[in-house]
Amino acid sequence: MSYLSVNNATKQFGESFKALNGISVAVERGEFFTLLGPSGCGKTTLLRSIAGFNDLTSGEITLGGANLRVVPPHQRDIGMVFQDYAVFPHLSVFDNVAFGLKPRKVSAEAIKARVAEALAAVRLDAMADRLPAAMSGGQQQRIGLARAMVINPQLLLMDEPLSNLDAKLRIELREEIRDIQKQVNIATIYVTHDQEEALAISDRICVMNAGRIEQIGTPQEIYGNPQTQFVATFVGTLNFLNAGAALDAMLGQLNLSAAAAKSWAVRPEHLDLLVDGAPTSDGATLSGMVSKFTYLGREAHLQVETEVGRLVVQLANPGMAATKAVGETVSINVQPSAPMAFDAEGRRISSKG
Amino acid sequence: MPRFNFWTVVMILTWVMLFVLLFIPVGSVLVSSLYDQSGNPTIANYLKFLGEPRFHQAFINTLVVGFGGLIGALLLGSIMAFCVSRFVIGGGRFVSLLAILALVSPPFIGAYSWIVLFGAGGVVRGFLRDMGVNMPPIYGVGGILIVFSLKFYPYVYLMVSGALSNVNRSLEEAAEGLGLTPLQRTFKISFPMVFPALTAGGLLALIHAIADFGTPRLLGRGYNVLATEAFTLYSAEVGSNMSMATTISVVLILVSMVFVLLQRYMSRRNVYHGNMINKPVRIKLKGWRNVLAHVAVYFIGLSGAMPVIISVIYSFRKTSGPVFQSGFALQSYERILFNLGDVVRNSLTFSLTAVALIVIVGTVVGVLVARRTNFNTALLDGAFMVPYVMPGIVIGIAFIAAFNTGPIVLTGTATIIILSVFIRRLPYTVRTTASSLRQISPSMEEAAISLGYSPFQAFLRITVPLIVPGIIAGGMLSFVTAINELSSSLVLYVGSTMTMPVRIYLLILDGDFGTAAALSTVLLVLSGGAVYIAFRFMGRNEQALL
Ligand SMILES: Nc1ncnc2c1ncn2[C@@H]1O[C@H](COP(=O)(O)OP(=O)(O)O)[C@@H](O)[C@H]1O
Ligand SMILES: [Mg+2]
Repeated sequence: MSYLSVNNATKQFGESFKALNGISVAVERGEFFTLLGPSGCGKTTLLRSIAGFNDLTSGEITLGGANLRVVPPHQRDIGMVFQDYAVFPHLSVFDNVAFGLKPRKVSAEAIKARVAEALAAVRLDAMADRLPAAMSGGQQQRIGLARAMVINPQLLLMDEPLSNLDAKLRIELREEIRDIQKQVNIATIYVTHDQEEALAISDRICVMNAGRIEQIGTPQEIYGNPQTQFVATFVGTLNFLNAGAALDAMLGQLNLSAAAAKSWAVRPEHLDLLVDGAPTSDGATLSGMVSKFTYLGREAHLQVETEVGRLVVQLANPGMAATKAVGETVSINVQPSAPMAFDAEGRRISSKG
Repeated sequence: MPRFNFWTVVMILTWVMLFVLLFIPVGSVLVSSLYDQSGNPTIANYLKFLGEPRFHQAFINTLVVGFGGLIGALLLGSIMAFCVSRFVIGGGRFVSLLAILALVSPPFIGAYSWIVLFGAGGVVRGFLRDMGVNMPPIYGVGGILIVFSLKFYPYVYLMVSGALSNVNRSLEEAAEGLGLTPLQRTFKISFPMVFPALTAGGLLALIHAIADFGTPRLLGRGYNVLATEAFTLYSAEVGSNMSMATTISVVLILVSMVFVLLQRYMSRRNVYHGNMINKPVRIKLKGWRNVLAHVAVYFIGLSGAMPVIISVIYSFRKTSGPVFQSGFALQSYERILFNLGDVVRNSLTFSLTAVALIVIVGTVVGVLVARRTNFNTALLDGAFMVPYVMPGIVIGIAFIAAFNTGPIVLTGTATIIILSVFIRRLPYTVRTTASSLRQISPSMEEAAISLGYSPFQAFLRITVPLIVPGIIAGGMLSFVTAINELSSSLVLYVGSTMTMPVRIYLLILDGDFGTAAALSTVLLVLSGGAVYIAFRFMGRNEQALL
C-alpha cells in the first residue's frame, strides 16, 4: 500500500456543487507529487482535506496505513506552506521557525540546533533575529518553508507557494525547494497552476480538471504522452487540424488512422520547416503562406495558413536567416509521431493504422 | 439541535445585552412620548410639538447650528487640508497635533474659553473696550457657530487630507496633458475625487453639532436647540415634563438618523483611489502665497486649540474666591485636591470600569461577529449607529425612562452612568475588533494548527497578540470619550456620582472659572495621555479619532 493514499475523495459545497468528484491518488515515501490544474479545479480543496482543514464529504485518506480523517488537524503532523506565506509577524525569524518545535517537547538546545540548520538550508541564517514584516516575499516564503520542514513532518503540503513572487525568483526558489526536498526526503504534495513549474519540480504530476483527475504520470509522460485533450492543451499548446480531404491525404501519407477520432492535433514544437530543395526521407509535407512571425529570442513562432488550417510552427534557436516575411511560402514537415488523435470525449486514442 | 457551546452562550448574552441596554431604553422613550402625564395613551405630545412656537424655534435652531457647524467646519477643514497636503507647511506635525487637541477636548471647554475671552466680562472684549472699540459679547447663535466650526473642523480636515493625499497624481498629470489650467484641474479632477470625503466629514460635524448640549447651553443665552429643550423639560424643578422631553428626544433621534444614514452612504463612497507609486508632491510656495498659507493654517489650528491653551493658562492664575487676581498660583489645583477629589475619583473609576467592560465585551463580541458569520451583522450595523443617532442627552433621558421604575431600577447609581458610556462606545470596539480580525489571514492560524497547536491555542498565540495592540489603542480612545462625556451624565448623575465634566459645567454656571480651568486641564492631561498611548500602540493614526 502507498504511503499516502486518497481514495475516491468527494467534497461537496452547497446542494449540488462538487469541488472534488471521486479523486484517488497515491503518493510514495520521499516523492515530490504535484497537483496541477486551472484555478478552481479543486487543488486547494484536496490539499486542505489532507491537512484536515476541511473534511471530505466522502472518501478515505490514509497516511502510513492509518486512517487520517479521524485525526484532528493539529495532531496530523503535516507541514504546510501557504501561498500568502502566513509568517507570524509578531515573532522573529528564529521564533517563527521554532514555533512548531515547542509543542513537540524538543529541548532548548535541540531547538537552537535544528532551527539553525533549517535556516541555513533556506539561506536565512544571517537574519534569525529580524522581524519578518519588512522582509521580501521570497525571504518570507523561505521562513515558511523552514518552519514547515523543521518539525520533520510526515508529509509536506505546499499550496502555490511561489505564485505571489516575481518570475525570476519563482525559478530560483523552485530549484531550492526541489533540492531541499530531495535532501530531507519528505513526501511532498505541491499545488500549482503553472505547467512549467510542475514539469520542472515534480517526480509525478496529477493533472486535475473540474474536481476530477485527468492524468497522473511523470513530467515526461504528462507532456510527451498526454492521455486527454485537456492535458495536452493545458500542458503545452496544440494546433488542431481541420477535417477534410487534405487531412485525410496527410494521414494516409503518414500511414495513420483512428476510426473513433473526433479531432487531430500537433504540437508546434513537433513541426519543422523544410529547407528549400532538401529531399525528405519520411513524413508528410504541408505547404502554406506565412501570416505572422513572432520572434521571442530563444525561439520564434511562425504562423502558417495551410490546407489543414492555421498552424503555428515553433523554431528553436532562430538565427537571422530564420526570419520570414508575411506572405512568404513555406513547406512544413510533419513526422508520423507528431499527430495526436482524440475521441469525442477528449480521450487520446491510438493513431496507429 | 445546536451545540450549546461557549459561542452560543456569547451570542445569547449579546442579544440580552442589546435588548436591555438598547431596545428597552429606546422603546421606553417611544412609549413615554405616547403617554400623557397621567398615563393615558395620546399623541398630544407630538401635536404640541407641532403646535408650539417654542418647539418650532428649537427645531429650526437645531438645523441652523447643524448646518452652520457643517459650513464652518467645511470651510476651515478644507482650507487646512488643502494647504497641509498640497503645500510645504513648516511644522506640519504640530498643526496635526493642534487638530487633535481640538478634537479630544470636550466642547464645553471651548464654550467656556470663548466666554473668558469674549463674554460679558471677557478679557479681549474688555481690552477692546479700553481701546474704545465696543464689540457685542459672544453669546447667542454666532458664538455657538464659532465654537462648533473650530471644534468640528478636524473631522473635515482629517477626512479630506486623507483623500487628498491619495488622489493619484497621474490623474492630475493626465489632465495637465490635456491642457487644463491648474484651477480647472482642481475643480474637474481633485474636487470630484474628494467630494465624498468632504461631505462625509461635513456631515460628521453636523451630526456632532446637532447632538451637542454643552455649547448651546453655556453660550446660547436663550438660543435653544432640541438637546437643550429636552434637558430643560426633563430637569425643570417645577413642571418637569418627562413625556414632552421624550417626544423631543424622538424628534432628535429622527433628525440625527437622517444625517447619519446620509453620512454612512457618503463614507461608503469615500473610496480612495490609492496609488502608492504616484503620490501627490507638496509644492513649496514662495513669497506672500507662502505667508498666506502659513497664516491660514496656523490661525485655524491655534484658534481650534485655543480653549485648551486658555484653560491651561487660567488654571494657574491666582484667584480670590471665583475672581481672578493678577499673578500665578496653584490655588485652583489645591481646591481640586481638597474639595473635588471624589469627583476626580468618580470620573476615573467610572471611565476605567466602562472601558474595561467595553474592551472585554467588545472583543468577545467582535470575535463572534468576525468568526461566526451567522451572527446578524445588519443588527450590528444598526447598533453601530447608536452613538450618533442617540445624542448623550437622549441616552440619558432614555436610561431614566427605562430604569427609573420597573424590573430594573438603576437611577442614582454609578452603574447607570457606566452603562450609558458602555453602550455608546461598545459598537465601535466590536466593529474595530471584527475588522482587524478579518484582516488577519486565516492561513496564519492554520499554519499554527499544522505545526501542532490546537485551534484555541493557535488563536491565543497567533491571533490575540496580533489584535491586542489595536484593542489597547481602541480602549484608550474609548477612555477619552468616556471621561469627557457630559450630557448623558448630566441627566443621570446624583450628588454622589458627579463626574468631572458635570462639575466643570456647574462651575462655569456658577462663574468659578479658575477651578473649572484646573479641572479641565486635568481632563485634558488624562485625555492627551490616553491618545498618546493609543498612538504608541497603533501608530500615529489620526483617522482613528473620527
Ligand atoms: N468553502 C467553500 N464553499 C463553497 N465553495 C467553495 C469553498 N471552497 C472552495 N469552493 C469552490 O470549490 C472549487 C475548488 O476550489 P479550490 O480547491 O480552491 O480550487 P483551486 O485551488 O484548484 O483553485 C471552486 O469552484 C471554489 O469556488
Ligand atoms: Mg487554490
